[in-house]
Amino acid sequence: MPEIKTQDFSAASVAAIQNPKLRRALDRVASGFEVARLDRVAEATPEIWDAWRQQARDIKIHTIEHLDYYLDLLYTNVTAAGGQLHFAKDADQANEIVAHIARTRNVKVATKSKSMVSEELALNPVLESIGVEVWETDLGEYIIQLAEETPSHLVAPALHKSKEDVAELFSEKLGIPYDEDIYHMAATAREVLRDKFMEADLGISGANFVVAETGSLVIITNEGNGRLSTSAPRIHIGITGMEKVIPSMQDLSIFLRLLPRSATGQRITSYVSMTTGPRRSDDEDGPEEFHLVLVDNGRSRMLADPALREALYCIRCGACLNICPVYARIGGHAYGWVYPGPIGAVVSPMLVGLKQAKELPQASSLCGACREVCPIKIDIPRMLLDLRKKTAESPDLNIRSAPKSERILASLFSSLMSSPRLLSTAVGFANLLQKTERILPFSHLTKDRKWIRNSLVPPLSRWTRSRDLPALPKQTFRDIWNKELSRDDS
Amino acid sequence: MTTPESLGTPKSEFLDGVRQALGRANIPPSEPYPRLTETIPELEQQAAEVRSRLANNLPNLLDRLADMAAKGGWNVYRARGPEEAIGHVEEIVKKSGATTVVRSAQSVFEQVPLDAALASQNITITTAAHDNENPRESLRETIRQSDVGITGADYVLAETGTLVVLPRKGLSRLVSLVPPVHIALVRAEDLVETLDDLFLLRRLEYHQQNGEMGSYLNFITGPSRTADIEMTIVTGVHGPKEVHMVIID
Repeated sequence: MPEIKTQDFSAASVAAIQNPKLRRALDRVASGFEVARLDRVAEATPEIWDAWRQQARDIKIHTIEHLDYYLDLLYTNVTAAGGQLHFAKDADQANEIVAHIARTRNVKVATKSKSMVSEELALNPVLESIGVEVWETDLGEYIIQLAEETPSHLVAPALHKSKEDVAELFSEKLGIPYDEDIYHMAATAREVLRDKFMEADLGISGANFVVAETGSLVIITNEGNGRLSTSAPRIHIGITGMEKVIPSMQDLSIFLRLLPRSATGQRITSYVSMTTGPRRSDDEDGPEEFHLVLVDNGRSRMLADPALREALYCIRCGACLNICPVYARIGGHAYGWVYPGPIGAVVSPMLVGLKQAKELPQASSLCGACREVCPIKIDIPRMLLDLRKKTAESPDLNIRSAPKSERILASLFSSLMSSPRLLSTAVGFANLLQKTERILPFSHLTKDRKWIRNSLVPPLSRWTRSRDLPALPKQTFRDIWNKELSRDDS
Repeated sequence: MTTPESLGTPKSEFLDGVRQALGRANIPPSEPYPRLTETIPELEQQAAEVRSRLANNLPNLLDRLADMAAKGGWNVYRARGPEEAIGHVEEIVKKSGATTVVRSAQSVFEQVPLDAALASQNITITTAAHDNENPRESLRETIRQSDVGITGADYVLAETGTLVVLPRKGLSRLVSLVPPVHIALVRAEDLVETLDDLFLLRRLEYHQQNGEMGSYLNFITGPSRTADIEMTIVTGVHGPKEVHMVIID
């Protein structure tokens, strides 16, 4: 697996916020993808959009609840179509399967179309270590491969790079003159990679869906690199998570409506390629061998936990990233692993372990925007809360994240709230304090001479550093109840 | 075909792990998934409904196709017959400055015989079908050197303006993908209204043919594009920069 930096989340997010170039890039994404998505929702009408989401969710619920059955059916049909299905319990096993195929078929050059799972597995270094030249062919992935970085967005992996960055990178790595014209840079990538497609022995792809009924793999792209990678080389290996299976070919229609609209605001992408087995004897092109590698790599932990199982419904559209106020400020790299944004904050702790990623579930204001935009109605905020609970209650002191002071405060608050007498005394005392509006240390004077109610007393100041202390109402609910509401007017 | 190798975790062990995570023993789906239990006569019945809905609404659906295809990034042309279609193709080829054209060997080219017309304009036109003299490898090079690729369609979708192609002898998927310009010739009989309709028809055929799906089912909607650098849309990144759909009523 790639280097896990989830434990550095706080420091990385602070650094990201202070990076103005990143902020500009993130603004472009928010205004690009999310605005287009909203147009498509309006066009479909919100009622129909909602019905589509429910239909897709129902299919995912059914499939995941019967995952064993559909994986078995998929196996039968991949085999019947002349392909091979391999199961991998973890990253090492998955990488070894691909490396074994590459070694035994004397593979020299491999082209890859975009695959988040292969990023999760860190497949490229394994192939390179056995002498295979690996070329990422999605433009964004190609850029970050040249830069030796990881994707910062599920759909637009190189969004954190400016055109000047890319121009410098191309000039340095490809030995061409510096040219920051975006059209010229795309043309350069086309030229370089066109040769590689024709030279490659092996094409590696991810899969947006795999269809149990027919044993097919479905990839959705805009560039056409996926289709080239899976039709030009003599071997095709598809790699994906075991949760990507859907029952019937007909279920695709609903997902093909939801995924592009949610991801980029397109009605459909330029290319949808569904491949089933290797090429048949009469076909004009296509691979001689087809392999599908299905990966667990921690997914069965999500499956085993009813509170987090629905994270497996995710179709990786990136809509929750595009709307998230936290992602919009810190970008993808701060999350420290392959999957960023709200869904990443759920998935990463489950895949890399809560101990290493305990801060990620805190990376949310729980505003619920991610749930609103999710095409599968995945309740991400609920899962983030569940993970926070798991962190807070963990018997493992390395996981339990709250500092001692916070736990003391929480237990004080808890006793206060469970005793009516204590609460009323405290409210009375607080009211007294509040009457003297400008009392230090509960308020402070700002530069423009306004009194802000907050606390300067540690450890309370940590709480109010980013929050105002709410004012108490003149009358409490208890006062109103005692004076008016408790009287029986009938 | 190669003999299956045993790589990774054996299926039974892997599925046991999944069952364990789901917290249950080997129990098949409690409520069978309705779609997967459909019989061929049931699928035929549904397919008949799809076809009659299509026949009753053909002119409107052709308009919808033209509209959605344009929204999807195709340059759309309407032709009332083969002559007009050939005229559009000649014009597109001329405008692109092409000297070499590669086309597939689909039935649409019998109805729209455009080879002679293009040849008369000094365009070299090759048919991409492999045989003993033209192995797959040399065809690939021909396709790569061509300025324009011309194909027919197995289906076109009114819902999305999508061209659908299936593997056929004489149809390389590289013809619609590798040259910088792609022209698609589409007939009214290729039309299907929605994605659901298309998948239904494909499923029927799949089950009628005892589980033979063909090696691919490909959708094309508009040009190849990317927005990976600063969200700026660039066409023609790996596939064609320009795509043209000629609809023959």
